[in-house]
This record gives sequence, C-alpha cells and structure tokens, in this order.
Amino acid sequence: MPIIEMKKVFLLGHREERENIFNLLHNLGSVEMIDVKSGESWEEFQTLAEPDQPPESISQIDATRSDIRYCLDFFQRYYPIKKSFIQQFTGGKLELSKEQFADYVNYLDRASEIYDACRKVEDRLARLRNQETQSRNLIAELKPWETLDLPLELVKDGSYAAMGFYTIPLENLLSLKEAMPGKLSLHYLEEVSTDNEFAYFYFAGLAEERPAMAELFKEKTVTTVTFPNFSGTAAQNIESLFKKLDTLREERTSVLAEIETLLENRPMLMACYDYIDNEFMKHEAVSNLARTENSFLLEGWVPVPVLGDLEKAVHEKAETAVLVSRDPEARENVPVLLHNKGPADAYEVVTKLFSTPQRREVDPTPLMAPFFFIFFGICLGDAGYGILLGLLAVYLSRQLKIGQSGQQLLKLLLLGGISSLIFGVLFGGYFGDLIKVPPLWFDPLDEPMQMLYYCFGIGLVHIYFGMGVQAYRNIKAGKPLSALFDQGFWFIFLNGLILLLIPGLEAVARSMAIAGGAGLILTQGRSQSGIILKFLSGVLSLYNITGYLSDVLSYSRLLALGLATGVIAVAINSMGEMIGGGIVGTAVLSVVLLGGHSFNIVISTLSSYVHTSRLQYVEFFGKFFEGGGKPFKPFGKSASYVDVVEPE
Amino acid sequence: MTGTEIALMGAAFAVGLAGIGSAIGVGIVGQSAAGLVTEDPDKFGQTLLLQALPGTQGIYGLLAGFLIMQEVGVIGDAPMLELEVATGYAFFMASIPIAIVGLVSGIYQGRVSGAAVGLVAKRPEELGKGIVYAVMVETYAVLALLATILLLFGIDV
Repeated sequence: MPIIEMKKVFLLGHREERENIFNLLHNLGSVEMIDVKSGESWEEFQTLAEPDQPPESISQIDATRSDIRYCLDFFQRYYPIKKSFIQQFTGGKLELSKEQFADYVNYLDRASEIYDACRKVEDRLARLRNQETQSRNLIAELKPWETLDLPLELVKDGSYAAMGFYTIPLENLLSLKEAMPGKLSLHYLEEVSTDNEFAYFYFAGLAEERPAMAELFKEKTVTTVTFPNFSGTAAQNIESLFKKLDTLREERTSVLAEIETLLENRPMLMACYDYIDNEFMKHEAVSNLARTENSFLLEGWVPVPVLGDLEKAVHEKAETAVLVSRDPEARENVPVLLHNKGPADAYEVVTKLFSTPQRREVDPTPLMAPFFFIFFGICLGDAGYGILLGLLAVYLSRQLKIGQSGQQLLKLLLLGGISSLIFGVLFGGYFGDLIKVPPLWFDPLDEPMQMLYYCFGIGLVHIYFGMGVQAYRNIKAGKPLSALFDQGFWFIFLNGLILLLIPGLEAVARSMAIAGGAGLILTQGRSQSGIILKFLSGVLSLYNITGYLSDVLSYSRLLALGLATGVIAVAINSMGEMIGGGIVGTAVLSVVLLGGHSFNIVISTLSSYVHTSRLQYVEFFGKFFEGGGKPFKPFGKSASYVDVVEPE
Repeated sequence: MTGTEIALMGAAFAVGLAGIGSAIGVGIVGQSAAGLVTEDPDKFGQTLLLQALPGTQGIYGLLAGFLIMQEVGVIGDAPMLELEVATGYAFFMASIPIAIVGLVSGIYQGRVSGAAVGLVAKRPEELGKGIVYAVMVETYAVLALLATILLLFGIDV
C-alpha cells in the first residue's frame, strides 16, 4: 500500500510529565501534532479544558536562538564556509558525533558572551568603514587641487582682496575668461586642473568688485569650493589622509584577526543553534495542547506502522500518560505519507514535485515508475552515458550524506542510467559513434519515422493506462457508468480512428469510431439540463479529440531528445576526428572528447529528466491524478547546521 | 547561389537564430540569478540549473545545422555534394522551424526561468515547479526540432 494509513491519537497526561513526553515524541519523530482547538471534539470539552500557552521561558529561548543566529551569520559574512557545487543541493552540514554534540551544547551559556563580542567587533568594523569612506571622499575632493602649491588656509577673503577656489563646467571656462576683462578691473585666475566635466581654478580679485564677481560667476555656473578645517597644501593633506587610510586598514586587519579568534566557537555555536532551535520547537508546540489545572491533552496523527512503537514507548517511559487512537473520520484532513517498496521508491521525488496525493487517492508513483524508466532511457539512449551516469549516481549516493529525497533522486538517476544502457544497446549508441557496435534493434538516425511511430505507440499505451486508472477510480467510487461514458467510449472512439489508418480493417474501424462517437455525443452532456443543451455539449465534447491528438504528438519529444543526445555525441566525435595526430593532437583530442561528452551527459540528463517528468505530469497525471494532499510533517528533530552521525 | 550554398545558409540560420534565442534567454536568467546570489550565494547551484534551461534551443539549432552539414558533406568522410538549387532550398526550408521557434522560445523560456529564479529566492524547495513552467515553453522548440529533423530526413539528395 503506497499511501500509509494514519490513525488519530489522543494523549492525556499529567502536566509534570509534559516535558518528558515531549522529549520522547521529539526523539521518535512519528507524530504530527495538530491544534486541539481545531478539532471537532474541542467544542465538547471546551468547558473542561482551556488552550495551553507556551511557557514564558520561550521568549528567552527565542532571544538566545536569534543571538546565535546573528553570530553564525556574522561569521558567514566575513569567513564564509564555502559549499561545493553538490553540497549546495545536498546541504553539506557539519558532522559531529553524539558525544561531541552533547559536549558543545554544554557551552550554551557562553553564547551571550560570544554574541556581545561579535556585536562589538561588528560595531568597530562599521566605524572603520565609515572613517574609510570619509577619508576617501576627502581625498577625492582634494585631488583636483593637488598641484596647487599654496597652503589652503591662506586662500580666503581679506579687506582688499577676494580669493577662493572654484569649479566651472568645462564648456563655460573660455567664455568666463573672455567676459572677465570687461566686468572686473584687477583680477587673477589660475587654472589648477581639469577633468572630463569641470575645470578647477583659483581666483583672486578686488573685494569691492564682489557683487560683479558674484553675478558673473552665477551666470557661468561657477561653484565655490571651501576647505574649512584644513591647513597646509592639498598635496600634504592628501598624503596624510592616505596615511590615515593605511592605519585604518591595519586596524581592520587586527579586528578581522579578532574575529578569527572568535571563529573557533563556530562549531560549538552551530551545535547550540540546532539544540536551541529544537528546544524552541518543543516549547512552541505546547500551543497545540489543551490543559486543565493538572493535565494536558495532545492530539495528532501517527502512521499505523509506527503506532505500536509509540504506544510501547509511552507505556514504558511515562507513568501517567494515556494514549488512545482511532481511525480518521471522513471529513478530517489526514496528512499523507508515501511509502513505496523496491525501485518505485525512487520515483516518489517525481510525484512529490508535482503534488502529494490525497489520502483516498491512488498513489501514482508505482504506476508511473515503469514509464519513467523507459522514457528516460529513450531520451538519453546511449550505453556509454548510461554506464557513466549510473556509476556517478552510485558514487554520490555512497559519498554524500543527504536526506531521503536526495537519495531517491540519485536512485532515479541510477535507474535512468540502467535504462539508458539498455536503449543504447538496442539503438547502437556508445558515446555516439565512438565505439562502433551495430544496434541490436535498429538505429533511429537511419529510420526516424519508424522510431516516431514507436514513440506514438508507447505514448498511446501511457495515455490509455492513465484513462484506465481513472476508470478504475470511477468504478471504485461506485460510478461504473461514468467509467463507461468518460473513459470507455473514448477508448472505443480513439481506437476506431486509429484503426482507420490500417488498410483492410476499415469496416470494423468505422463502426467502432461511429459507435464510440455516438456514445460520447449521447453521454458527455449528461450534467447539462435540457435535451438540446445535453446534445450540444455532447457534440462539443468531440472537440477534445484535439487534446488527445496533441497528447500523443507530445511523445515525439522522445525521438527528438534521443536524436539530440546521439547527434551531439557524433558531433563531438567528428570534432575530435578533425584534429591531427601526434602528441599535441592526441592531447587536444582527449580534452575535446572528455569535455564534450561530459557536457553532453549533463545537458542530456537534465533534459531527459525534465521532459520525462513533463510527460508524466501533463499527459499521464492529467488523466486521473488530482493531488493536493497534505504531506505528513512529524514533530521531530530538525537540523540546520549539524548532522549528528553515528560512529562507524 | 548554388544549391549547396543555399543549404549551408539554412545551417547557418538554424545555428545562428536558435543560438541568439538561447543567448538572450540565458542572459535574462543570468541577470536575475546574479541578483539573487548577491543576497544568498548558496543558491548558485539551483540558479545555474535554471539558467541552463533556455540553453537547449541553441543546442537544437546546432543539431539541425550539424545534420545539414553532414548531409551536404561539409563534415565527415564523404565528399561535398553539388546540390540542385531546388534541393538547396529544401534544406533551407527544413531549417526554418527550429531557427524561428528556437529564437522566440529561447527568449520566452528565459523570461519564465528568470521568474523562476524569483520563486527559488522565496521558496527554494519549489525549484521543480519552476523548472516545469520553463519546460512547457521548450515543448514548442522540441516540436520545431522534430519538424526540422523529419523534413531533413525526407529530402532525397
């Protein structure tokens, strides 16, 4: 039974024992708690019990948790733990033994101290950064005046002379110079420097002519520059600012070194985070309970296969607790846990990616598994690639510590490799045409039309199978007529149309098509009211034939992708052939072959996987699968940073 | 133009236009992916997967171009053929489906994948659904490739 049966459990215990029981459930990880108040029975004992609240210590725990999180994020910012490409998909957590983990958690008290240290360091770094930007901005301001050999503090207005630093847009400079002699009597303008947009100049004139100066400057969009707190020349100031930058940088290095000394706490903090995060969950889960003065009530779902273990554990470990269970009622939203045996288990990832099935639905995983296996093989269709892919999947599954779905995916790739090996032998693909072995069956490159017909054929089987499953569901739901009308008539109609193509069978085919079509016209409008509406929507339903047609045509992608893999492999080989012999030639050849074929394996495996999935999702699941079930999420251990591993 | 030249022009169009489509599509995804990775460098692997999706049109175009080159004898052991002008046009026509559909679907698949990057940013566990959306676009490139292949195999040289 691919969908595991669930039972609803009620656990009643003494409040003093709550923590003990929570730890027990948390370790077992087999109960999905539900909010007692959301259950239907809540109304009945609402007068007896009240909703439980998480203990007050939860806010303390939450605070510690976010402190630790802050430290870890802080470390990650400055000294990131780099994950390899594969680890990004698989997690790549820190591995600790049980003892190490427990040992680290003993240091939980130190977390706040480390937090303070991190905060302080970060503040200092922020201050240093500010000072650095400030200095850099000042340097940028002073840069244009670097060549002026004049102490900045001397340039100011006096009682007879007006002096200052100015900038002007480059295009106005000439006209300013030309306009000056007419408007001002005595004046001196020294161009200090120019850049792409502006010219920078030093100007001196008579104090009494200030209004004329101001007017002229306004007209030419001249801006005044002041250096209030500077003494000495611009060049001297720049030099001292650069010196300051150096000391800031040194200081930053020493602060970073300080982080490095804090860094030794990282594994400890990672362990503590996982510990305290789990504690937080335990505390938070209390809000699901109901309580009286001395007792608590817990409600949840348990998969039937582990119910016995749970009952035994509660019986042994808890003195006061009473555990009762019952079958789910019709209206209850029961979580769904899939469990497939054998190779089909690998394809659960494909189903889950689409949607978790509902509880009373057929799990499509085992039904879809053989088709997925075959389609993947046709798309990849190369014996050499198949072997490599399979070996890679086995190697990764041994090397990587990844969760259930990761392992399922690797198993799926292994099976895909095997399937690809089979179809590679059938169609004669060994790294394209690198190893020339005649195909056991035929070469799709030579006879693409034949291959296309086979693809349509297997697609038709796939579609009919999907319809068959829906017919089975209808019959099981007590609607055998729906099965006949919605699936049976279509089956007759479609087969009639197909047989029309075969010479000699026209008579049978025609009567089948007419019978099926008539059946559809008469029955497909049955949900409508009124005879005319019934008839019209019956006729209109025949339009769905285009849907079936495009479904079947969609399987042509099997041919296209299979050819794509093969032809690209051939292309790589012929690129290799073009390279001459000799040592250099051989070296280049092996690089081309290795790189090219690796690239092709990755790209082709990816498209085989996604296109095969699509054929399941759209063409197959569309026929019968609803989905939308709630996946089972038990109350149990969660790990963000640390994997606790058993010593081998 | 000789028939051979027209056929090779078809190969050039298939590789070129489908390649442009993929280049634009991959570029679109790359831009949003880079934005996400500034926030969360660990998403590099997942976003790279999404970025690879609109790349297939270029490969299909190359595939079609390669088949034409092989038939005409530009590559491989056989000598280069002197094609009739009509046959050359037949090759050219055969390259049109993947050239045009590759160009347009590559761009649109890039947009869908780019949006899927946003999806992965908020819900990394839903990567699969993002991929499925993108693959729906690719269907038409696959169909166009199929049409091109069938046309090519149908030409008598």
